[in-house]
Amino acid sequence: MPALIEARDLTKKYGKHTALDRANFVVEPGRIVGLIGPNGAGKTSALRAILGLTTYEGQLNVLGHEPFRERTALMHDASFIADVAVLPSWLQVDQAIDFVAGVHPRFRRDRAVALLAKTNITGKRRMRELSKGMKTQVHLALTMAIDAKLLVLDEPTLGLDILARRAFYDALVNDYMDETRTILITTHQVEEIENLLTDVLFIEKGRIVLDSSLEDIATRYAAVEVAADRLDAARAQRPFYERRMLGKVVLYFEHPDHEKLAGFGEIHTPTVSDLFVAKLSGAPQ
Amino acid sequence: MNTPMSANIMNGPDGSAAPISRNITPNRLNAMTWLVRREFWENRAIWMLPAVIGGLLILASLFGGYNVVGAVDLPTVQAVVQAGAPDGMLMIVALFFIVMSIYSTWYLLDCLYADRKDRSILFWKSLPISDTSTVLCKLGIALIVVPLVYFAAADLTTLVVSFIVSVRASSYVGGALWHGSTWLQIQGLWLYLIVSSAIWYLPVAAWLLVVSAWAKRAVMLWSILPPLALIVAERLFFGTYEIGSLLKSRLFGYFAYAFQYTPGDANWVTTEVTAGVGHHGTITTPVNVLRFVNFDGFLASPATWIGAAVGAALIAGAIQLRIRRTEI
Repeated sequence: MPALIEARDLTKKYGKHTALDRANFVVEPGRIVGLIGPNGAGKTSALRAILGLTTYEGQLNVLGHEPFRERTALMHDASFIADVAVLPSWLQVDQAIDFVAGVHPRFRRDRAVALLAKTNITGKRRMRELSKGMKTQVHLALTMAIDAKLLVLDEPTLGLDILARRAFYDALVNDYMDETRTILITTHQVEEIENLLTDVLFIEKGRIVLDSSLEDIATRYAAVEVAADRLDAARAQRPFYERRMLGKVVLYFEHPDHEKLAGFGEIHTPTVSDLFVAKLSGAPQ
Repeated sequence: MNTPMSANIMNGPDGSAAPISRNITPNRLNAMTWLVRREFWENRAIWMLPAVIGGLLILASLFGGYNVVGAVDLPTVQAVVQAGAPDGMLMIVALFFIVMSIYSTWYLLDCLYADRKDRSILFWKSLPISDTSTVLCKLGIALIVVPLVYFAAADLTTLVVSFIVSVRASSYVGGALWHGSTWLQIQGLWLYLIVSSAIWYLPVAAWLLVVSAWAKRAVMLWSILPPLALIVAERLFFGTYEIGSLLKSRLFGYFAYAFQYTPGDANWVTTEVTAGVGHHGTITTPVNVLRFVNFDGFLASPATWIGAAVGAALIAGAIQLRIRRTEI
């Protein structure tokens, strides 16, 4: 199966500032990929390029399209939620459904109506009358009713409370995701999505610093809780990051030798958020 | 191997294999009708403003005062009102046209800016609609749809006002004051107005769209500032006023190019009015308002087509800006 998204030396400059610096990555179909990076790392630039909203240098292929030149065609097969606040304030819920049904050949009206029937949002309400959480529900219902191969989510739960965030991701995983779909998602709250991700892309200063499936992370990385008296010996195994916590030190290793590390303390697979912190703040010590 | 179950899923009702992925051909016309509907949802002023103006004019005709009360000579009264009908109808056309021009200017400046400001452009751009369709739709709204709405509103207003004036005046003159031939001429006049002003003002509308697609703020200011800077620069460096007079003739020269107005020719009749309060002297009215139309001259004028070409180039620019500028 060909890759869904393939970026080679993807570069985006704004004047002197380089937002994306020869980024290379591949997204395979059927995956849920988290694009994770600190503020200003180039996440949004990458998504904008993928969605055809901006020019770029380098090569980029999304669903067989060159996004910037073929945005209209691309949007038949891809959909995106940029931010929950982007539904226009004057739009009524019914109008939103009518409009998308009118212009999108892959939109399934019955599905959107069924999804909204589960909420207490009525058709005549305008977006400006809805709370942020309700607006998200409307946007999600519209988007999930589109039979898209690729769904891109850029900070979709920004500004939502914990209940609304949880509901958002539950709906996404339970009602939407199947093997024909692919989701690319960025968020600040890594802990919230790490259970649903199958792959991660770490981005820093416009470059991809890690492109891995979660299974590979388990074999490639290890975190070891080391007691103070064995610290020097453990450090000799060249961890790439260490973190002090309440009387113990956690050392992070790449390509770990489990036999050697077992002697120093308890080994576990680092969580995505821990690995993210370790990879991005840990200059080798 | 296909089990009966999977055959059911994979095959169409006639037993033929269903295509795995439907070949989707976007229906542009269908998308365009939805884009136009969208504009009516968002900009309710498109129909509310002319409705309010028409309503006010109708109220004025219902409760407005008449000067004919003191008239003693009924045929004179009838003559006065009949002679005034073309003027009255033209005044209604003019009023609607002026309001329409102001509204369209505002609409064009706002239409590609508002959704960038509130970021809803990201929603619209998540749908399979090309930026070309979007920009052309907005242009069509301003130059064709809005004028048609005002045309309809002006027509309806003229009919209702004429009827009310006739009924109110019937106690004096005992008959309808309906001026059917002038009303029919006004229909032609409106159609000509819509087509010719759309062509004439295409570069202006296109410029407003460029500003609307480009400016980060203060669209009104940005629409005026660059031309003004050009005029000032020309004045400073060359001491001339070419750009200024060019822009002036584009903005205010439409009627001079599109219409001909020669007082005193055969198109005018003068009615003597000798009685009645407030109606002394003569009233001069056109026989046929369509004779003002200078269709040949308008089409033959290079200014018409140079302007249209400039407009087309600016539209192309606005589309490119719309493709590239997603956010403020």
